[in-house]
Amino acid sequence: MKIWGIIREAFTFSDLSRGERIGLALLLGAIAVFPWVVKDGFARTVAVQFLYYAMLGLSWNFIGGYGGQIDLGGAKNVGFGAYGVALPMVLWDWPFWLGLPIGVAFAVLESLVLGLGLLRLRGHYFAIGTLAVALVWEELFVYSEWTRGARGLLLPFKRAPDYLYMQLTPVGFHYFIAALFVFSLLWLNWFRRSKLGYQLRAIREDEDAAASLGINVLAAKVKAYCISSVVAALGGAFYAVYYGFIDPDSVMHLDLSIMIAMTALVGGAGVLWGPIVGAAVLIPLDRYLGAWFGGGGILGMDFLIYAVIIMLLAAYQPKGVAGLIEALVLWRLKATGRSTAGLRAVGGR
Amino acid sequence: MDVVLDIGISGVLMGLVYALLALGLTVIFGIMDTVNFAHGEFLMLGMYAGYLTYAYLYPEPLAGVPVAGLVGMLLGVLAYTLLVKRLLSGPPIAQIFGTFGLMLFLRYGALAVFGPNLRSATQGLVVAKRLVVGGLTLDAAKVVAAAGSAFLFGLVYLMLRRTKLGLALQATAANREAARYMGIDTDRMNLIGWALGGATAGMAGALLVNFYYVSPTVGMVFSMITFTTVALGGFGSVPGALIAGILVGLIEVFTAQVISPQLKLAVIYTVFFLVVLFRPRGLLGAR
Repeated sequence: MKIWGIIREAFTFSDLSRGERIGLALLLGAIAVFPWVVKDGFARTVAVQFLYYAMLGLSWNFIGGYGGQIDLGGAKNVGFGAYGVALPMVLWDWPFWLGLPIGVAFAVLESLVLGLGLLRLRGHYFAIGTLAVALVWEELFVYSEWTRGARGLLLPFKRAPDYLYMQLTPVGFHYFIAALFVFSLLWLNWFRRSKLGYQLRAIREDEDAAASLGINVLAAKVKAYCISSVVAALGGAFYAVYYGFIDPDSVMHLDLSIMIAMTALVGGAGVLWGPIVGAAVLIPLDRYLGAWFGGGGILGMDFLIYAVIIMLLAAYQPKGVAGLIEALVLWRLKATGRSTAGLRAVGGR
Repeated sequence: MDVVLDIGISGVLMGLVYALLALGLTVIFGIMDTVNFAHGEFLMLGMYAGYLTYAYLYPEPLAGVPVAGLVGMLLGVLAYTLLVKRLLSGPPIAQIFGTFGLMLFLRYGALAVFGPNLRSATQGLVVAKRLVVGGLTLDAAKVVAAAGSAFLFGLVYLMLRRTKLGLALQATAANREAARYMGIDTDRMNLIGWALGGATAGMAGALLVNFYYVSPTVGMVFSMITFTTVALGGFGSVPGALIAGILVGLIEVFTAQVISPQLKLAVIYTVFFLVVLFRPRGLLGAR
């Protein structure tokens, strides 16, 4: 019966403000009808990429947002998920659904083992440590002959739609990533009001105080780190079949780790809908800017813009869009002379 | 045996450059408990300052060293006054993301301005020259880079130990509050720490131009090597930076020789991981 409790909790959004619930409902509705309304191929790929990055941002929120542990190596789990699907498919012609558990299991196992070490580190040390671990994995995948190194893996082509190998039509892929996105959202929604979620927020605010209250700090952090790796690996598995080609540059690179943390930071780290807003701002901006600049654009322009955004947010508004909204609400209440006592934090409890 | 000696020497030479790099980072860390993610980017821009001086002003890479020092110092001062100062009052997440953003900004800014091409100096006093000392053939460029780094390291060390400013910096690192009560302007010490870090990283970069290619993305590798060095030596420890720098240089060359040149960075990152895990205070760290 416990499982029903968890599912009920995952679908409970009652602590969010009315505006937030309406926004979420509108978003889900828009995702559901999108392929029927929009026929433009480019807009459809942007929508898929938005859902993909939003999902990865949600995965970051478990450990980075609610836990306050700045993970700068999120790409490695995406890579494990992608290679878990792609490698057996290329080598032995295994279907998607056999490769998926392998990739996810590897991501969890790796996060468990390394997490037991990494998560003893605090603050900067953890951030640098995750960066180092991700760089080691990237190098190993680049130089290992078994993973086909930097040449990458081209998935065998099947006739779409093929549900065994998950090679779908564009509309099929839209609903596939939408389902994964909703699953991640529900998981994070359960997580933030679970015991584990409260433990992580306590750790984020003051690790020593959390430990003195009897929280097993390391165990809690490792659990959240592993959950985060599952969600990221699912995203990676999707990426492999969606693009049909992966290499260390596309699924393990530092740039991807940065993007993952960025989506959460821009929207609001530690806020349920933060990564969704972050991806909604960043992905269309990036894809349409890239399309406008075309091939003759300035190299690395997108990351130059991200860098400015990161610095401005860090200096002025570390809570991103969520922080801006909070400040705005507070300012309006004060301007109209109303009490701010009953004010709820943005993004629920 | 000769091979081992050759490799050992080249490791020590590279290690002295790492020591100079680590010095800047460890001083900043000691004073204000902040890690500068953009340290390798300071070095990268120092390399460009040195290379551009060589390419457009005077065809000698060594002439770029003082220019790179000035550019690095300016970068450090700007980074502190415009960004880091503001981050210090924010939450920890802002401090980590702040200099990480600076790293990205400099990295991709350099990519936009200088383009992705690798550049290298082809002529100069020590470029591609050999130095024969007692039967050993050494790369003159590496010897000069190591000697220059050792000299600058010694200079900063003496400054820290012998001058009033150096003592004030050390006092700030030891106990910020107490230093302030003694009348030390700790805010100014932060600024000086960043200027010092930028200047040393910049000069280390210009010294590398004699034998190392210049590219916008080279900073990341050096950042990670520097983090490892600082962690190994002990965050905040100046003598530790010297010893650890040489050790990291040795680890690098022997990995390249014994295991594989492609995996030398993987091994260095692993060293970082193991050090912070099992001996977080490093070899000579205070805490």
